[in-house]
Amino acid sequence: MVSGQTEPPDTVEIPLKIRLGADVTGPLLYLTDRTTLNTELFISADLNTKTGIFLGGGFSDYKYSQYNYEYLSRGFYVKAGVDFNLLRPEMARGKYWAGAGLRYGLSLFNSGVPSFEFENYWGPVSSSVPSSDYIGHYLEAAPGFKAEMFKNFTMGWSLNIRKLIFSGAGKDLRPIYFPGYGIGGESMSYGISYYLVWNIPYKKINVIVKKEEPEESEGSETR
Amino acid sequence: MRNHITNILAATIITVVLQLVSCTPESCLEESVARIKVPFYLSSTQRIKAPDSLTIFGLNTGSKKIYNASKNVSRAELPLNPSAENCGFVLRINGTFDTILLVYDSYPHLISRECGYTYYHTLDSLSYTKNIIDTIIIRKRFITTVNEENFRIFY
Repeated sequence: MVSGQTEPPDTVEIPLKIRLGADVTGPLLYLTDRTTLNTELFISADLNTKTGIFLGGGFSDYKYSQYNYEYLSRGFYVKAGVDFNLLRPEMARGKYWAGAGLRYGLSLFNSGVPSFEFENYWGPVSSSVPSSDYIGHYLEAAPGFKAEMFKNFTMGWSLNIRKLIFSGAGKDLRPIYFPGYGIGGESMSYGISYYLVWNIPYKKINVIVKKEEPEESEGSETR
Repeated sequence: MRNHITNILAATIITVVLQLVSCTPESCLEESVARIKVPFYLSSTQRIKAPDSLTIFGLNTGSKKIYNASKNVSRAELPLNPSAENCGFVLRINGTFDTILLVYDSYPHLISRECGYTYYHTLDSLSYTKNIIDTIIIRKRFITTVNEENFRIFY
């Protein structure tokens, strides 16, 4: 049972990390568009070199108006799920992440229509829809990339593709926007996040690196 | 250093794209008024047939006509008054007058982000005179912007 003839496998030490991050896209956009404020913070932890758990949450304050109505939505959301790193451990080395997150989101918000108007045969109609509290649910897939810029400081981005489960309201008063999900009138929504992340290494593990087989050269060199 | 540049570039592109998307003007291309859709049927044949002449106007609206001696109208579309719980229409079919009275509930409905809100209705009751109208059959009580038949008028 002793295999003294084989070489010991190469290993690489990979730090597992807890990450605290913020999505800076919302605050940056708020500088140019004061009608929408989105903030999001998250914490995630590596379970191993490939998988991590994710818990995030944020606040959203949304105002929209056009020629025939005004709409307000404000509230909080939480989302939880799993992140999968598709890079090989020896390539990622705890510094790079390229993969996808899968999350479930829960949004608690208040929305209302302070005024809307339209016109038909009987004349102009002005009305409103009182504010109400809603709870919405959605699923999110977030493929992206993150890289360590400085020691324990990471930056990166993700695309956010969301599938609505339930908007919290009936079919007549679907929320136009709800926190965490975005435009609520549609069954899918899309977004982009740009993250600044502080990493806290909490454990180091040794990972065996698969050696690449050297290419066999056939015969003698030809000219 | 390369990573720094890549990330800064990505952030810039993302911000610019989001700004462009958020500034795109939106226009409403959908139907935004809920109307009763009423096809006309000839009682004798039970087949759809446009009256030779059709005039319709709302009760107590003066001379503001929805249809004015119109020909080839086999299906009329009548908007309800969202500010009231009932309204009526005067119909002049082939020169003979009839009146329809409707009682209904109205409730707000989001059409879309681009179009905003309108009122949908649920019909409670319907009454009518029978000078030229033979009968009216209610097919669908929910009056929306969807293109579906609500009544059938037999004349």
